[in-house]
Amino acid sequence: MTEFQTAPAGVLWATRGRTWGFRFLLDGGLADPLAAYEAMFAELGDKATGWVGNAQQVGVRFVDPEGRRDRSGRLIPHDFLVTGDLATQIASVDDALRLLWPLVTSLYARVWDQEAPPSPEDVRFDNSSPLRAD
Amino acid sequence: MPQYPRIREQHIAVFGESGSGKTVLLSSFFGPTQERSYSNDLWDLVADDTGQGNRLFKNYVGMRDDAEVPPTTKFASTTYHFSLKLKGTDDSAVKRRPFDVLRLAWHDYPGEWFEETPGTAEEEARRVDTFRSLLRSDVALLLVDGQRLAGHRGEEERYLKSLLTNVRQGVLRLKDDLLAGQGPLTEFPRIWLIALSKADLHPDWDVYAFRDLVVKCAADEIDALRDTLSTLIEAPEALSVGEDFMLLSSAKFELKSDHLTPERIDVTQRVGVNLILPVASLLPLERRVEWSGRLQVPRQVLDTVADGADLLAIALTGEAGKAVKNLVAKIPRIGSLASRAVVPVLTKAAQMTGSQLRAANEGARQNHDTLTATLTQFKLDLEQGVTDALLIKKR
Repeated sequence: MTEFQTAPAGVLWATRGRTWGFRFLLDGGLADPLAAYEAMFAELGDKATGWVGNAQQVGVRFVDPEGRRDRSGRLIPHDFLVTGDLATQIASVDDALRLLWPLVTSLYARVWDQEAPPSPEDVRFDNSSPLRAD
Repeated sequence: MPQYPRIREQHIAVFGESGSGKTVLLSSFFGPTQERSYSNDLWDLVADDTGQGNRLFKNYVGMRDDAEVPPTTKFASTTYHFSLKLKGTDDSAVKRRPFDVLRLAWHDYPGEWFEETPGTAEEEARRVDTFRSLLRSDVALLLVDGQRLAGHRGEEERYLKSLLTNVRQGVLRLKDDLLAGQGPLTEFPRIWLIALSKADLHPDWDVYAFRDLVVKCAADEIDALRDTLSTLIEAPEALSVGEDFMLLSSAKFELKSDHLTPERIDVTQRVGVNLILPVASLLPLERRVEWSGRLQVPRQVLDTVADGADLLAIALTGEAGKAVKNLVAKIPRIGSLASRAVVPVLTKAAQMTGSQLRAANEGARQNHDTLTATLTQFKLDLEQGVTDALLIKKR
């Protein structure tokens, strides 16, 4: 039986699947994730990859490291907004790929090809998604 | 005294699922008009917001130079305002014309808003606002994704039924919010064209082949959509759904061996994109005349079918009678003309065809009457679209 663990704290994650559209898989515990997301990512604009941030929080965007695409062939982007201790360790896209992506990679592999958007029950974490990068 | 510039605004409603090519179409509509080599002796197309214009042009250049498709539209709806500014400095022609600028509002939004329940309450509110704006359009383009159709070869019926059902269900989900406790809507897109996007993936098809496939596979779903839309509006007899069809291709995409990634995007090979302005501005005028002659549609509804059609008709014919000229002089104060004197002009404008139309276009060009020249050119473009089997207009 799969052991469920909690989602990484202070991480907001917006992405889409092959058929389902852009949505927040993690809301970072924020009451208004969309406002926080838009405030952080406005600076990145339409860039496919990039990092923005300050001492308290960082925003980072990269295309799917596995090269997954949506049904019309567009590379899938992953947008993360990170606060707290983890934010202090992510000073670049490379840092995010090294520290952040491993936290969610198995979850994403499980849900990206679902026909419908993932339900809250689908967004679960197990031992194959290490909660800590160290 | 008239206020300048006098503006007539038209909204374009493009309905399409995520990835069906809405943003690409928008970029391909605007981008080419900004090329150095682009020439148009009648009008300039400008984006009212420079930042928006730059963004669309960047999308276009990305496709043209680097085979990059525009980024996915996320969470937000953006309304792009374009102004078609008429050229011409002939003072007498400028004074005579009933408007100087044809403005277009084109709403771009995440396609999944029609397929899925948005993830946040704010997105839901934005979705309702967006569709309320879309419903101010006279014409709706409902995109059938040529790529998904190709991906369903042999089972096109499944995709087409699913698409039309999704649109119908999307409308139903929004119905209460759209009506918001009021009665049936008077202003509403009364003409729903079904358009094949990414038509370059079906090089052997003309619009008749496309129409036949859609009707063969999804006639019941078109009827169901029409029935559902009818429940939203006043005078539902004035509604065309699935009676007009067109082909659209924003560019020619040459794909890599994975059949997904563009190897090259030839933005010079567009199909039907130049018909969007004529379709949006003149089809309602034609349909309005048809409905007013055949059906007992309330005048109040007809006035919204083609908002400002009287002005278009006067401009199109370029030969208004005295009564009409007197009304034109009052346009800045009275807005839309509500006079019976305009009816014959509307009818004439709608029925102008062939050699008569070409003569009117040539005459207007010679007289530097750019408004009449532009509108008669739009009408000629529509005729050419029908001749080239890119457009089927309801008969």
